[in-house]
Amino acid sequence: MVSPEEFRKKAGAIVAQNYKVEFLGKNFDQIVNLLTDTKAEKIYNWLEEVIHKKIQPIVISSKKQYKDWKVNELLTFRYQFSIENVEYRILFVKVKNSIYIEFHLGDHKYYDKVRKDLSLT
Amino acid sequence: MIIYNPQNETLLKERIKSAEELLKQIPAKYCFITGSFLYKKKYHDIDIFVISRSKREFVVNNKKAKITVIDFNDLHSLFYRSVSKSCIAKNILPAKQLKVTFSDYWNVINEAIPTLMNEKDTYHKNVRFLILYTEYFRAGEVLDTFQLARKIEQFKYYKEILDYVKTEIVKITKKEIKFSYAKRFFYTQAGYYKDLQEYDAQSFLYGLAHDAVKTAHG
Repeated sequence: MVSPEEFRKKAGAIVAQNYKVEFLGKNFDQIVNLLTDTKAEKIYNWLEEVIHKKIQPIVISSKKQYKDWKVNELLTFRYQFSIENVEYRILFVKVKNSIYIEFHLGDHKYYDKVRKDLSLT
Repeated sequence: MIIYNPQNETLLKERIKSAEELLKQIPAKYCFITGSFLYKKKYHDIDIFVISRSKREFVVNNKKAKITVIDFNDLHSLFYRSVSKSCIAKNILPAKQLKVTFSDYWNVINEAIPTLMNEKDTYHKNVRFLILYTEYFRAGEVLDTFQLARKIEQFKYYKEILDYVKTEIVKITKKEIKFSYAKRFFYTQAGYYKDLQEYDAQSFLYGLAHDAVKTAHG
């Protein structure tokens, strides 16, 4: 079992920037609690790869507003995993040539909501 | 119970019965089951679809069941047309005219390429939309879940899929859209990829957009 506080701390340390990444998700803490150490380690490794530009982002050409940014100014990195046949997704959002802003973690329902906000298909 | 089976696939008899029992548990007029559960001895999930306006959660007594709710507003989509083409349904399913644009297709490519490059040869599931749209624009045919699974199995490596998209997109562009539109559309898209050439996916998409315009011109 992984503690949500520790997860945020470790993930935040990997990103290592002055701007504090927001960790979002309706059941964020409950899902992190379900993670095994191995699964959490895989997510940290994936984050490292994102930072080192080894993971490919999705860029949407929409001019729609998303909070303080336009959707086309954002890069979204997607990661999928499952626990006991339930699928979860992470959406890690970065401003083009700038900071990482949000780390979303949720089930398909939460993902569907954020996906629509970010104009993903 | 209605069986939609236009390709005359061999369905497993015992699964038809199980499908019927599962559908009975869903309190909705329009629901159906499709996918490998109906024709493969070994299957991963049972793909159940419910057409509903309700926001309620539907559940059935089977851990392998994966229920997807389709809104009535989405009945014109290629996705619905594909999943409902070969299936077992509780009632006759509603049909709406298909609405698919070239821009929808590009949106699918735009998301599928980075996903494919990240997943490499573990892509199986996420590449469905890419193949579905490409085959629709290439041959004018909506593949059902059986045909789609078979088509995906033809690719041995993810790079073969990248080559397939590269080959087909230029032919499709030439066939489907006017040069003036292609030029405006693809140069706009390329503009978004231009500053992201350090990423393989955006570099590939940038090249794809340019190839498509060149072919449309020729």
